[in-house]
Amino acid sequence: MVGRKKWYAKVVIIIALVIGAFFAGFPVLWMVRSSFLPNPQIFALPPIWISDTFSLDAYRAVLTNPMQIRFFLNSYLIAMLVVVFTLIVAILASYSFSRFNFKGKSFINTFIISVQAVPPITLLIPYMSLILFLRIFNTYWALILTYMLFTLPYAILMLTGYMNTLPKDLDEAVLIDGGSRRVALWRILVPTAIPGLVSVGMYTFMLSWNEYLFALVLTRTNDMRTVPVGINLLMGQHAFEWNQMMAMSVLGSLPVLALFLFFQRYFIAGMTSGSVKS
Amino acid sequence: MKKKLFALLTVGILSLSLLACAGNGGDDAPADEPAVTDDAATTDETPDDTDADDVAPTSDVTLEFQQWWGVELPEGFLADLVSRFTDETGIQIELLSNPFADTRTQIMAGAATATMADVVGLDGSWVYDFANQGAISNLTQLMADIGMDDSELSAQVQFEGNTYMIPATNFAYPMFVNLDILEEAGITDMPTTWSEFIAASEQVVANTDASGFAIPLEASSPHGVQNQYLSWLWASGGRFMEDGRPNLVGNSDLIATTEFVKDMFDNGVIAPGSFTMREQDMVEEFTNGRVAFMISSLAHLFMITEGAPDMNIGFIDIPVMDGYTGQSGMTVANWGLGVAANSPHQEEAMMFIEFLLSPEINSALVVAASAFPGNVNADPDYSASPPLFLDAFEIFQRNFAINEFTGLPTAEDLMRSMNEELLLFLDGDTATVGEMLEATQARWEPVFN
Amino acid sequence: MKARAKQIDVFNRKSTPYLYLFPTLLLMLTLIVMPIIMVIGYSFFDNVIVIDSPEFVGLANYISLFQDSTFWVSIRNTAFFVGFSVLFHLILGMTFAMLLNTRYLGNLGKAVFRVIYVLPWVFTASVIAILWRLMLSPSGVLNYLLESFGLIAAQVEWLSNRQFALMSVTFVNIWAGYPFFMISILAGLQGISSDLYEASAIDGANAVQQFFRITIPQLKPILISLIMLDFVWTTQQFALIWMLTGGGPINATEMLSTFIYKQGFTRNQFAMASASAVVILLICTAAAIFYVKVQKARD
Repeated sequence: MVGRKKWYAKVVIIIALVIGAFFAGFPVLWMVRSSFLPNPQIFALPPIWISDTFSLDAYRAVLTNPMQIRFFLNSYLIAMLVVVFTLIVAILASYSFSRFNFKGKSFINTFIISVQAVPPITLLIPYMSLILFLRIFNTYWALILTYMLFTLPYAILMLTGYMNTLPKDLDEAVLIDGGSRRVALWRILVPTAIPGLVSVGMYTFMLSWNEYLFALVLTRTNDMRTVPVGINLLMGQHAFEWNQMMAMSVLGSLPVLALFLFFQRYFIAGMTSGSVKS
Repeated sequence: MKKKLFALLTVGILSLSLLACAGNGGDDAPADEPAVTDDAATTDETPDDTDADDVAPTSDVTLEFQQWWGVELPEGFLADLVSRFTDETGIQIELLSNPFADTRTQIMAGAATATMADVVGLDGSWVYDFANQGAISNLTQLMADIGMDDSELSAQVQFEGNTYMIPATNFAYPMFVNLDILEEAGITDMPTTWSEFIAASEQVVANTDASGFAIPLEASSPHGVQNQYLSWLWASGGRFMEDGRPNLVGNSDLIATTEFVKDMFDNGVIAPGSFTMREQDMVEEFTNGRVAFMISSLAHLFMITEGAPDMNIGFIDIPVMDGYTGQSGMTVANWGLGVAANSPHQEEAMMFIEFLLSPEINSALVVAASAFPGNVNADPDYSASPPLFLDAFEIFQRNFAINEFTGLPTAEDLMRSMNEELLLFLDGDTATVGEMLEATQARWEPVFN
Repeated sequence: MKARAKQIDVFNRKSTPYLYLFPTLLLMLTLIVMPIIMVIGYSFFDNVIVIDSPEFVGLANYISLFQDSTFWVSIRNTAFFVGFSVLFHLILGMTFAMLLNTRYLGNLGKAVFRVIYVLPWVFTASVIAILWRLMLSPSGVLNYLLESFGLIAAQVEWLSNRQFALMSVTFVNIWAGYPFFMISILAGLQGISSDLYEASAIDGANAVQQFFRITIPQLKPILISLIMLDFVWTTQQFALIWMLTGGGPINATEMLSTFIYKQGFTRNQFAMASASAVVILLICTAAAIFYVKVQKARD
């Protein structure tokens, strides 16, 4: 009886998974398809699924252009630095929120959330003046600091929530044994919070990787620009390089997916850490 | 106690300034990256590297040229062009590219923070705003300063009597025809009037899978109002401005044009998806043989012939209002040039514009861009262009170039509000043309006061 | 001597939490407070940015803003867009996270599906917009598929019909945004001790009961944070809407963000744009205060 029920549940879940995968993956499949077609054929009706004119021209065009390669390198460099800095700063802040009670805690908390509530588009010009004033216009720092600003609220909120689920005895034991707070935080709490850190890191990476508006306005030379700007540069006044845009997105997404594949083991690894809790 | 707090603050400020310094020059950017923000100030820029040999003229000036044209031109074309300027004058040019759709936003931000590039690519519909804001320089003055002869220029876009933009290229908007569709529909005579056009379009819809005509009316870039709606008005000799003020209400030509467009919609000859279609989408529809006629930039010809090499394409005069016999206007859009007010190298910037408009250089540029020259003495060699291009050129020469939006205040927003009112009329929310034009005029008036 | 040491100790203890917050606060105070104050300031002036000496006009911008019917349309559209986006982000994120957590799938299978499900997240907004415009166009693949399966009789104008436009734009945003919820929930699920499930299984609870009695309460803090942040972000979503429809047809998909952009960058009314931004700031701050209160009450 139980076995039959399980079999039943399994089929339902697999069907649901496949439907979900279609919903999530079909548009991306369409993107990949379009990246292999000459521009006009992308619009053909009935749609061309796989064409006899299948070509790698778009990929060749992207990969042989040193400027585009530079965009990729910039994007990776910036996104990775943002992940590192955001995680460090956010771990410190969420430790404070999670383990201390202090004056102004809820005010600071509200402040951190609501600073991101002003539409970036209105902040653009004052913010740009500030970046110029700090003399970091058209540098990696302009984008790194900006993206840290965008990602910190989520990072802090999520990590605080995560640390709150970790029992206080865990790190207090270290303090009682005469260990420093630094040890308690970096040796005990941080390793336990890895699933949370990975998901925050993913988010931080994606935001820095995909952001367009500030990347456009805070940089001006091609050697500082990122992939989203590069993709938009392919949208001309008269014509779009549809297939190259798609090819660039596909190329850009591959390393990101590889990173994701690599890090996802931490989601599973998290299961075993359940034993240290409560 | 206080000391510690103070120390903390000092450390914070120090680390911040360190960060700032590191950002300014410390990262792994190539060494030839120009001093970034310095061009705004009056400080002398250090020359990048004057590795020019003894014969070539030298100059310690580097100009930045911001444009969106690169992607529309053969690869490396623009770089070759500007290196010729460097050879002639020693002035270095750094090309900055940006996406067309965001150029305006970027120039506005650059103007507000005095970080605009020295020479900027402009669209005629932005000139009033930037000139009014003091973001771009008075070129009339600059042309006099460097002794440039402006009699050769095909046009100058002015604000309060002075020139602020010079068109480098002119893109004409003729009517493209898919001759294969017409043949399939059994049409032998090309339409020359509106009623013939509607009849032909209906015949296309009845006998083929294609639509007759396409109007891209998407909201983020409302240029369809200018290129595919008002083109009909101008072709029939109409105008929407009178003595520098909008003349929409009771304008019989405009009323007739609007009713004609509405007729086309009501008769189902317009390609579906109009309300969120962009010009680029329209061209793809045409290239895929789903639209028989379109009014579009001649710059698209190359793309279409490359994308659909077997398609038979023709150009015709835009059909006119029944009974109209005068000369027709043809919409033009251009790639214009201006000088940033915050540029410390005004004269050098003007020299660069003069260079781009010199007959030989201008000819090369317009051939590469499938456009018509900005210098009347330029003699572009279109022999390598498709023969069809010459047909269109011939039609263009029969007509007169027109674009009433060029130089109007907040021109893009005028197009956008007209676009919205037009859609309301086409969708049946506004009952009559009169009401639609009244509503549009009411939204336009405050801008002109 | 001893008293002084004690004093320092007290100070240390009191200052420690601020010390840990210092980098965050430094970054935020330097980079964002000034621009926000400037935006708030702009909203009381006329002709800001465009000319050097703007004129103080008090609340005039707010008054004309509240009299602008497009502003109210954009509020209504934003409410629809944000409401349904957040709701479906939550539902889809939760469903997919639960599906991926299933016992019925091997490690490889899980890895494959995880990668597929996270796909919408790795693309920049302009590409997502371009891609969906391609698929949703009247002659696009969606209509083709629906027509071949006989589900629709004629081509549907998903984006250019005013009835469907808002729905379609919201749908695209849901597609683009759920992986963020899914990943966060997946991480949260790993934090739930398996003891809890084992204990309830012994009590005879079935999967559905376990979901509502253990999973949801355990995830609640994370869910509330996610909803809060998604609310703030979706309210400001600009690039996707702008590139999909530009706020049109007419104003069918006009949101506060596109409305502000048009005010500022095509009509040069930065003061009006700032006033609208302040309205958003107020709404979101109210939500943030509410959120912090809820979090505090739980502690």
